[in-house]
Amino acid sequence: MPTAIAQPDFRETSQLLRGDAESIAGWMERWDNRRLVKQLAMIVAGAGLYGAAMGWWRDPQQAWYVAIKFPLIILLTTGGNALINGMLAPLLGLNIPFRQSFSAILMSFVIASAILGAFSPLMAFMVWNAPPISDATIHSATYGFIKLANVAVIAFAGFTGNARLFQLLTRLGGNRTVALRVLLAWLAINLFLGSQLSWVLRPFIGLPGLPVQFLRDNAFQGNFYENVFHTFRQIFFGFD
Amino acid sequence: MNESNPTPPLPPVIPAAARKPGDDPAEQVPIQNGIAAIEAILRQPRRVMYQLRQPGAGKLIAVMLFIAVACSIVYGLVAGTFTGGTQLWAAPVKIATGLMISALICLPSLYIFTCLSGSQARLVEVFGLLAGLLMLMTILLVGFAPVAWIFSQSTESLAWMGTLHLVFWFIATLFGLRFLKAGFAHTNAKSQAGLNTWIIIFLLVALQMTAALRPIIGKSDKLLPTEKKFFVSHWLDCVFPPEAKPKSGV
Repeated sequence: MPTAIAQPDFRETSQLLRGDAESIAGWMERWDNRRLVKQLAMIVAGAGLYGAAMGWWRDPQQAWYVAIKFPLIILLTTGGNALINGMLAPLLGLNIPFRQSFSAILMSFVIASAILGAFSPLMAFMVWNAPPISDATIHSATYGFIKLANVAVIAFAGFTGNARLFQLLTRLGGNRTVALRVLLAWLAINLFLGSQLSWVLRPFIGLPGLPVQFLRDNAFQGNFYENVFHTFRQIFFGFD
Repeated sequence: MNESNPTPPLPPVIPAAARKPGDDPAEQVPIQNGIAAIEAILRQPRRVMYQLRQPGAGKLIAVMLFIAVACSIVYGLVAGTFTGGTQLWAAPVKIATGLMISALICLPSLYIFTCLSGSQARLVEVFGLLAGLLMLMTILLVGFAPVAWIFSQSTESLAWMGTLHLVFWFIATLFGLRFLKAGFAHTNAKSQAGLNTWIIIFLLVALQMTAALRPIIGKSDKLLPTEKKFFVSHWLDCVFPPEAKPKSGV
C-alpha cells in the first residue's frame, strides 16, 4: 500500500536553491499538497535545527524552545500575510492567482530555511567552542562574534531567498520593475509582522540573569516598534 | 594536380580545462579498489570526478573515506610520537575524528553553496568531491609523515612541532582544495564565489578543531580540554606560555 509520507527530495531543493525559474514556475501551475507538505517539513527542519543551535548556548532547554519558535515565526508570517500579499500582487501589476503568490513566498522561506539548516552544524560547532554564557561572557568578544555570525547567516539566508523570489516574480510577471515593486511590498509587510512575532516569541539566545522560558512573562505587553521608539528617545533625548 | 591543400586538416586542439571528465576513454575505467583510487586522485583526478557521477559512486566514496581515515591515523601516530604515552593512540584518534567531523559539519553548507552557484551536481557528487579532498589531503600528510617524524624525534619545542604540522596540513589542504575546485568547475557552476566562501569556512572549522581537541601533540592530564578557546588564542598560549609572557613595559 503506498504511503503518503513526504520523503526529503534533494532534487527539488537543489532546483529551488539554483533558482531554476522554469521548474519552479511549472510547480506553481497547480496546487500540490504533497509538495506543500515537503516544503513545510523543510521549513520546520531547517529553521528548527538552526534555532536549536542558537538556543543551545544558553541552555539545552532553550535549544528546544528556539527550535520550535524559529519555524513558527516563518510559518506565522507566511500564513498571516498570505491574504494581503495575495491582494497586493495584482494591485501592483503582477496578475497571479492567490495560490501562486502564497507558493512563491513559501518557496523563498524554504530556500532561507534550507540555508539556515545547512549552517546549523557550523553554528552548533561555534557554540560548542564558546565558553558558557554568563554575565562575563555577554560583555566579551565571543558574545559579539556569535551574535554577528547569527546576523550574517540569517541575513544571507534571507537575502538569497528574496533574490530567488525576485527571479521567480520576474519570470511570472515578465517585467523586472513590476517584480521589484511586488517584492518590496511583500518584504515590507513580512518584515512588519515578522519583527513583531520575533518580539513576542523572544528570547532566542537569552540572557544569563533571566530564566529559560518559552515566552517572557511580558511577551504580549508592548510591541517591537514601541520598544524601538523608546530606545530611540532614550538615546537621542535622554528620557524614556 | 591539386596544390591548394597538400596536408590533411588537423583536429582542433581542445584545452585541457575545456575537456569534461570522461572525455578521455582512460577516465572511464572504473576504480576498483583503494590503490586504484589513490593512483587515480594523484595522476588522473578527472577519472575520480567522472566516476563520482556514475551509478554506484557510493562505493568509491566509502573507499576514499576509508583511506582518509587510515591515512589520518598513520599521520596521527607519527604526530603522537612527539609526546609518546597516551598521545600515541589519542593523537591518531583525534586527528581522524576531527577531520571527519569538520567535513561533516561543512558538508551541508558546501552543498548549499554548490546549488546557489547554479551547479547541477547532486549531493552524492558533492559528498564525493569532499571525500576526494580528504583523501588527497591525508595521502599527502602520509607523504610528509617521515619528515614530521624526524623532527619530532630531534626537537622538544612544542611551538616548532605545532608550526611544522600546520605547514604540512596547509600544503596538503591546498592540494585537496585544488581537486575540489577542479571538480566544482565541471559541474556547470556559474560562479566560484560560493565555493571560495565555503573554503574559508572549512579552513576555520578545521583550525578551530585543533583547539577543540587539544592537546594533539602536547601533554595534558585530560583527554579533552575543559576550557573553551579560540584557536588563535590557543596557538598564542603555546608559543608564549602564560607564565613566560613578558610583563607589560619590559
